[in-house]
Amino acid sequence: MLEIQNLTKIYDGGTVALRNVSMKVKDGEFLVIIGLSGSGKSTLLRCINRLIEPTEGRIIWDGVDVTQLSGEELRKTRRHIGMIFQQFNLVRRSSVLTNVLSGRLGYVSPWRSAVGRFPKKDVEKAMGALRQVGILDQAYKRADELSGGQQQRVGIARALMQDPTLILADEPVASLDPATSHSILRYLEELNREKGVTVLCSLHFLSLARAYATRILALKDGEVVFEGSPAEIDDARFKEIYGEDAIQVEIR
Amino acid sequence: MSAEEDRRQEIPGRRRGLFSSRRLILGIVVAVVVYAFAWQITEIDLKKLVTGAPDMVHIVKQLLQPDLLTRDKEYQRAYADFQVPCGTASPQQPAASESEPYLVLSYLCGEPGQPLGVEGFNFRPDTKGILRWIPPVGTRRSLKRIDADSEGHFAVGIAIPDVPASEELQEIEVELKWDVGLPYPSDTTKIVLSKMVQTIMLAMMATTVGVFLAVPLSFLAARNLMSKYRSTMIVYFLIRGVFNIVRSIEPYIWAIIFAVWVGIGPFAGVLALGMHSIAALGKLYSEQVESIDPGPIEAIQATGANALQTIVYAVVPQIVPPYIAFTIYRWDINVRMSTVIGFVGGGGIGFILIQWVNLLQYKKAGVAVWAIVIVVWTMDVVSSWVREKVV
Repeated sequence: MLEIQNLTKIYDGGTVALRNVSMKVKDGEFLVIIGLSGSGKSTLLRCINRLIEPTEGRIIWDGVDVTQLSGEELRKTRRHIGMIFQQFNLVRRSSVLTNVLSGRLGYVSPWRSAVGRFPKKDVEKAMGALRQVGILDQAYKRADELSGGQQQRVGIARALMQDPTLILADEPVASLDPATSHSILRYLEELNREKGVTVLCSLHFLSLARAYATRILALKDGEVVFEGSPAEIDDARFKEIYGEDAIQVEIR
Repeated sequence: MSAEEDRRQEIPGRRRGLFSSRRLILGIVVAVVVYAFAWQITEIDLKKLVTGAPDMVHIVKQLLQPDLLTRDKEYQRAYADFQVPCGTASPQQPAASESEPYLVLSYLCGEPGQPLGVEGFNFRPDTKGILRWIPPVGTRRSLKRIDADSEGHFAVGIAIPDVPASEELQEIEVELKWDVGLPYPSDTTKIVLSKMVQTIMLAMMATTVGVFLAVPLSFLAARNLMSKYRSTMIVYFLIRGVFNIVRSIEPYIWAIIFAVWVGIGPFAGVLALGMHSIAALGKLYSEQVESIDPGPIEAIQATGANALQTIVYAVVPQIVPPYIAFTIYRWDINVRMSTVIGFVGGGGIGFILIQWVNLLQYKKAGVAVWAIVIVVWTMDVVSSWVREKVV
C-alpha cells in the first residue's frame, strides 16, 4: 500500500510542480497517471523514490515514511522500487548485460561491484530477465546499438533485477512507435497481473491509459483533477483534464 | 508599376542588384589595392620557384638517399713529392714498382697555376678515389676525382694550387676507396634510433604530465559541476581562463621559455608539450564532463546504488572512453610535435635534424626525416585504430 499525503513540490526557481497531492495506491493496482506535459507527473513519480526531494508532505509505503529515510535505509527502500524512464536512461557505452546487472547494485557488495564483479546467480538472473523480455541474444551488445523498443526492454529487465514490488514508469512509451508501445506496456501488465507488482505509470495517450489501467489519476497544474476508473472519463472529463481545445488521439 | 512591385519596394532593407552597386565596385578597388600591397610586402616572386628548383632537387635527391646503411671501407694510397717554387730541395720521382701502386708526375717543381700531369700505375682496377694536395703547412685540399681503369691506371691534369712558397716539399696524395663486406646500420641510423626513442618517450612523459594534471582540473573547469555557488564559479572561470591562455601559446614558444629555464634538451621539451597538453586535454575533458547524460545517474540511483556504485556504473562509463580517446589523440599530437620541438631547443630527434640541416648534411637529415615520417604515420594509424575501439 502506497499512501501520499499532502505532497507539495516547489522547485528552486519558484515553479510549483505539485500542489497538495494526496492519493492511495493499493497493492496490485495498475495506476496510470495522465495529464499534459508539465502537469507534475514526472515529479510525482520521482518524489516516491526520492530522486526529487519533496518540499512538503508524506509518502508512506508499506508503513514506512519514505520522506524521513536517509542513507542506507533510503537505498534499501529504493531497491524494491523499480523505475523505467522515457529516455530509457541506459548507460549507452556499457553492454546490455552490465546495464541489466546494475539493477542488482542495491543488493550486492559495493566493493565487489565497484570492480565489476557480480555473483554468478545474479548473472544468471540477468540472463533470465533478458530472456523474459525477449532480447537474450543482445546481451553482449553495447546498449546504444539496440533499437528504442529493445532499449526499453533492457530498462524493464534492469527493473526486474530489483525484485520490485512497485514499478514507477515515467512515460515509458513516449519515445516509441505505437506497436512497440503496446508490447512494452504488455510486459508491465504481465508483471502486474502475474507477479502482483504494483505499477505506477504516466502516459500521454488516453487510449493507452484506458487499455491498461485499473485506475486512472489525472493531474493538472500539479493538482489531482480526476481519480477513478478508466470508464469514468467521458468527453467532459477529458476536456477538464486536457483543456477545451484538446482532441482525443487514438493509439490502437 | 505593378501591384507586386509596389509591395516589394515598401519592404525596408531591400537590396539592389549586386553588380549595379557602387559599393561593390568600391569594394573591388579596395581589395585590389590590398592584395597588390600584400603581394609586394610578402615578397612574392614566382620566378624563384624556377630558379631555385635545382638547389631543391639536389637537396631532395640527398634526402631520398638517406645514410641508412654503411659498409666497411678499404683504401689504397700513393704519394709523390713536389716543390713550389723550384729550389734546393730537389724532389724525386717516386720509384716504379711491379706490384705496389705509384705515381708519376710530368715535372717535379713549379709555380702555382701551372698545369701538372699526374699518372698512376698498379692501382686497384675500376676503383674511384681522390687526389689531394698536402702543403707542408696549412690545410690539405682535394683537387681531383680519380677513376682507375681496368688495368689500375689513370692519368689526370691538375693546376698547381695557390700555396705559399716553401723550401719544404709539397705532397700529392692519391687515395682510392672501396666497400668491403656486408652493409650494416650506419652511425647516423644508430643516432636517429636512439633519438627517436627519446622523442617517443618525451611525448609519453608530456602526455602523462598532461593527463595527471588535466583530469582533476577538468572537473573544476566543468560548468555543470561548478555553477552551484559563486565561489566555485570563480574557480571555474579562473581555470577556464588559464586553459585558454596556455593553449593559445604555441608549444614552440613554451619550448623556448623552458629551454631558457631548464636548459636546452628533452626536459624542456617535456615541460613545453606537457604545459600545452594540460590546457588542451583539460578543455576536452571538461567538455566531456559537461556533456554527461544525467539520465543513467538517476536510473542507477533509483536501483538503490550508493554513491561509489553510481560513479562506477553511471559516470565512469560515460567519461572514461572519451578520456582515453582524447589522451591517445593527444599523445599522437605530442609525438608529432616532439619531432620538431627540438628545432627550438626541446631535445629529441628535431634537435639533431636541425643540426644536420644547418651543416648541409642532407643524407643524414634524410634518415631523420624518414624516421619521423614512419613514426608519425604509425602513431596516426595506431591511435585512430585504438580510438575507434574505445569509443
